[in-house]
Amino acid sequence: MTFLPRMAVKNLFRYGRRTIITASAIAFGIMCFILIDSLLKGLDEDSQRNLIWYETGSAGFFHPEYWEDRAMLPLDRPVDSSENLVAQLRARNVKAVSRIDFAGDMIVYKDPFPEDGNLQVKVTGIDVEHDSDVFRLKDNVASGRYLEAGEDGVLMGQWLAKDLGAEVGYPLTIVTRTFDGYFQTMDLEIVGILESDNPVVNRYGMYVPLDTVRYALDMDDYATGVYVSLPRDSREAAMLAELQPLAADAGLDLLDWRILGADYVDLAAAKRSGSSSVLFLVFLIAAVGISNTILMSVFERIRELGMMRAMGMKNKSIRNLFLMEAAGIGFTGSLGGVILGALVNLFLVNKGIDYSETMESGDMGYRISAIAYGTWDPTTFITAFVIGTVMAVLVAWLPTRRALKLDIPVCLRYN
Amino acid sequence: MINITGVKKTYKAGDTEVKALRGVDLVIDKGEFISIAGPSGSGKTTLLNLIGCIDAVDEGEILIDGEEVTSLKKEDKTTFRRNKLGFIFQSYNLIPVLTAFENVAFSLQLLGLKDKEIKDRTMEILREVGLEGMEHRRPAKLSGGQQQRVAVARALVKNPLIVLADEPTANLDSHTGEEILKLMKEMNEKHGTTFVFSTHDKMVMDYANRLVYIHDGEFTSDERR
Repeated sequence: MTFLPRMAVKNLFRYGRRTIITASAIAFGIMCFILIDSLLKGLDEDSQRNLIWYETGSAGFFHPEYWEDRAMLPLDRPVDSSENLVAQLRARNVKAVSRIDFAGDMIVYKDPFPEDGNLQVKVTGIDVEHDSDVFRLKDNVASGRYLEAGEDGVLMGQWLAKDLGAEVGYPLTIVTRTFDGYFQTMDLEIVGILESDNPVVNRYGMYVPLDTVRYALDMDDYATGVYVSLPRDSREAAMLAELQPLAADAGLDLLDWRILGADYVDLAAAKRSGSSSVLFLVFLIAAVGISNTILMSVFERIRELGMMRAMGMKNKSIRNLFLMEAAGIGFTGSLGGVILGALVNLFLVNKGIDYSETMESGDMGYRISAIAYGTWDPTTFITAFVIGTVMAVLVAWLPTRRALKLDIPVCLRYN
Repeated sequence: MINITGVKKTYKAGDTEVKALRGVDLVIDKGEFISIAGPSGSGKTTLLNLIGCIDAVDEGEILIDGEEVTSLKKEDKTTFRRNKLGFIFQSYNLIPVLTAFENVAFSLQLLGLKDKEIKDRTMEILREVGLEGMEHRRPAKLSGGQQQRVAVARALVKNPLIVLADEPTANLDSHTGEEILKLMKEMNEKHGTTFVFSTHDKMVMDYANRLVYIHDGEFTSDERR
């Protein structure tokens, strides 16, 4: 029976302006949903990638007691014979590299720096030859050069360098403690400034050749962690499982990037939850709009509705008529929203939004330094479309039900 | 055809109870053209609503064509109205987005008839009520009289047992009102359909072949002509 759909379409045109306004509200809601979802997923994907590329690798081997006190950057809980472990991993075709993270007090002097001062810093000793097997620092030298093995050089993050007024060639001193707890002083020269996609590198990054660090801290073959790079797909979990016995044999813990980057993972989950609340509000506003439109439409047509019921039209058919009208509004709005969302998302995916000033001035937790890109996710488009249409039908249910509860004589007398 | 026995109906208007019908009895035969007349608030519309199964009695019973409609379930009343009753309203109550043809066809759509039959019967009744050539006009493009003709056609197209008309000429000028009454009378004679209509207009009463007066919810006279 095409009578009801045809009549529903006619009624949509009958209240053309109202239909357009409500459909526009839905379209706006759907567009917001698509764009926020696209940005969040883009931020999440890029942040995960940058976390792995610059901070955690895919996973790391650690002394069992290191992780608990990681904030203190302890040197007395190292991975023994780390190069032996690295060799074993490479023999299994797993890219691996040792790193030493240690805490120090950086001292800078007026001339060439703008003023005297000192700052607590985290310094990372990196294997100059092999670090790029797992991490991407080497590609991020914005000025100066990359480190050379055995030199007393340091790579510094660009925002840190900017804050200190540091430039390539400036000397600085790191005061720290050796593996055995003795004070040690390292006189270093800035050989390069890093400009990374990861704000942690830009804000805190201090990288020194691993052999220089080992010599200074008396750590020989030790490392605070041995990091591996694994494919970022379904093979990752299987490979991690294969490496677990190796970690167990060496008396080490193997922790993947989700644990190593727990601060980011937790924060991203919290932000997703917050964004879901915003999306819920956007949809709630659209839902109230549709409900109001249908309510007005129903109550403007109460007499018509009474006539239809008097003539023997079933309540179910009348309800279906109004729900079809709501579905029509929902369909139009959702389609418009998906089209608009896709067009704007095209810009987000290709050009992105430049957050560089925001990211530099404050830590948002995401591992994005400058441009946040969107993603293409067909599931989001389909979900948004279905939600928009179904929601329109659901919110129309109540006003229709309310009108159908009125007695027919009341409907016929209604003004 | 219609047997009304001891029907009472009371409404609540705020805290006040209004006795719309105080136990009325009436028998209407098949093919009658009967007018229920009386002043405003006398119970005319209430009686029509009860016969039309769109309201429920408090006491008494109504039999239509041998079927006790007062005890029917809501869904059965809907079916009864759809199959056996036609309605003409004071303010026409046409669906504004539908054409004259579609408004009339609406009655037949509800019966689930085939498109061909709907089209033939609709065109035929539109011819009978003098609206041939206007079938594609929407109500807004028709005069009041023409709209009420569409309403008459809509009520009659399904060949109902009874057509109930609540003050069908109240919104029309006297000339147009008389035309509508002539049309209704003509249809009554041609199709043998029972017409029950309410009015307080003297001219309308004159057209009825039976006139029942109602006052304060009670019949005061029943005059056959």
